[in-house]
Amino acid sequence: MSAPTTVAPPPARPELVRVAIEDDATPLVRQLGRTLGEAIRSGHAHDELSRAGGTVAVRSHDTPQAATITLGATIEVRGGVLAEPDATVVVDLHGRFAPTEEPSGDAVLAAGVLHALRPPLPPWREAAARFWQETRPIPGIPDVLVVHVLGPDGPEEGRFGEGATTYELTGPADLLAGVFTGADDFLAALDAGVQVKGTLSQLSVMTAASWKARFDV
Amino acid sequence: MSETTATRTTPCKAVRLEATNHEGSLLGKNVSPAKFEAGKDSGFAFADILFAIDLNNEIVLGDAFPDWRGNIYDIAMVPDLSTLVEWRPGLDSVIGDYWLKDGSPVPICPRNLVKRLVARLAEHGYTATAAVEIEATLFEESVQEARSKGYRDLTPLGGSTGATYHLARSSDWVAYMEAVVERLDQVGITWEAWTDEAAPGQTELNLAPTDPVRLGDNWARTRQVMREVGNALGHTVSFMAKPTAGFGQGAHINLSLQRDGVNQYFAEDGPSELMRHSVGGLLATMAGATSIVMPQITSYRRLVDLTGPPTTISWGVNNKTAAVRAITGHPKYSRLEYRLPGADVNPYLTLAAVLAGVLAGIEGRIEPPAQVTDMAWCLPDDGSVERIPDTMSKAGAALAADPLLRAHLGDEFVDFWVASRRWEWMEFHTKGGDPYAELSAWESTRYFEFP
Repeated sequence: MSAPTTVAPPPARPELVRVAIEDDATPLVRQLGRTLGEAIRSGHAHDELSRAGGTVAVRSHDTPQAATITLGATIEVRGGVLAEPDATVVVDLHGRFAPTEEPSGDAVLAAGVLHALRPPLPPWREAAARFWQETRPIPGIPDVLVVHVLGPDGPEEGRFGEGATTYELTGPADLLAGVFTGADDFLAALDAGVQVKGTLSQLSVMTAASWKARFDV
Repeated sequence: MSETTATRTTPCKAVRLEATNHEGSLLGKNVSPAKFEAGKDSGFAFADILFAIDLNNEIVLGDAFPDWRGNIYDIAMVPDLSTLVEWRPGLDSVIGDYWLKDGSPVPICPRNLVKRLVARLAEHGYTATAAVEIEATLFEESVQEARSKGYRDLTPLGGSTGATYHLARSSDWVAYMEAVVERLDQVGITWEAWTDEAAPGQTELNLAPTDPVRLGDNWARTRQVMREVGNALGHTVSFMAKPTAGFGQGAHINLSLQRDGVNQYFAEDGPSELMRHSVGGLLATMAGATSIVMPQITSYRRLVDLTGPPTTISWGVNNKTAAVRAITGHPKYSRLEYRLPGADVNPYLTLAAVLAGVLAGIEGRIEPPAQVTDMAWCLPDDGSVERIPDTMSKAGAALAADPLLRAHLGDEFVDFWVASRRWEWMEFHTKGGDPYAELSAWESTRYFEFP
């Protein structure tokens, strides 16, 4: 009997873990919860997030922001670091959770959480479509989102929605995908190459939309 | 201007236009007498962005602007000439309100909000009389020294021991307060009492009862006076809700309603029906009003049982541990003391929140829950008495969901205010504030000098 030459289908995905954040959560807790939730939904870092236990402190490298992730059947995210964690990671919250120093404690646990917090971004067009869809309920949100992308293969454009009011965003594909998914901060992105065309009021509303994407508020 | 001109000793060289922004800072500009004469009826142009600049000079974002706001439009500040005073030789001062081009009030103008609610009370036949107890902490250092120290580790004026009512405070502390009340006398603000308060360097200054709009004017100006006197004497004063990690400071509002000059809160046998309904409205709106009367991040650090401020949505006759204290049984002095506000509030918005609660109670004939006759701190968590929202985000959510406050303050104001607090919350958490510290440096920098 020869060895099979076809690739076996992947095993059925075991029961997914879920993410729970505390009530009245801080922006960092919300950001972590959203990112981990996305990682679970996309299947990113499934093994790392399925660990039976372990606590990881996540600290900002330049502000007092801190939170604790507790792995388990439910991944819990709470503000602050109230007990000695199994591992600590210090990250750049404006750099998509990039570590700024060597993690301390359980190196495997820390590496797993860092990996989970840095899922690959979807293509900008997919991210923009989802952003547009999910921000419809925000009062004052423009009807149409026009995206001009300065990509390596030349300019691209996307238009999402129909209606009388329009907002335009221009910038590098990766940065725009970061803004649309919440991986990047919108107002910080304005200093990093994203340009906008719209009213001041629309900028204000787009800020709210970006918070929805980044913090789910 | 006639009265001021008649009594002045020095020709007026400038008029200072004054009004608070949403944060409660007294903003304005100085104009020449000629410019003032030319614009005193039509108003003076101010950029609408004054209602969207935070205490760190960032533009507040995160909400849809109303139609009257554009890519930074002008709105008109129209002075209320009844407030014109000679502030000091050569400088007159006048308080105004913000108006739109069509002659309607700016819906989020704090002073106009109070005027609207006073008018609403008048429709019911009532006039309100209100007073405030202003708490503030004085420090030996000049404001320049305070800045250089990041507003931390300052030296309380008058000694470092906590005390209340002590008359033995050192002469530097006494001299400061005497200079303050002398200035108040000069600019026509009636005060009733001042004393040292519970914390090192802390004072309580009571302004006399008057109508709510005038009280807002006097309150805003008193804070200005206290700062100016501090500058003149080389000291510093702060109205932060907690200028140091240890002690908080509040601003209790005392309120009564009259009809034809007769106190309607008085009844022979306890609270009158009107007082009960007022309490009912104040308690029904207290969770949402918390967002307004505890406006800053530091405000919520005051909410500690047994330290002074109320922590529960509660009331009681002559109960200073409750959020609303009812003073009853006196034909003249029967009143409600609303004990929740911090010293860091916008005076007008706080008065508006209180009046809105009272109006809601009167119009809805809201009966209050049973009064708390025990201590209203440290109560069992059995659901019988709700706790006051203890974070800015919780309070903002309560305000957003409050139909009574929306009805009386207006959807535009409520939405604007909730968005502004969400911005403040986001700035604190993401730009250096530390919720796990007793008092973070971010807060000292942001709130020590303003509002």
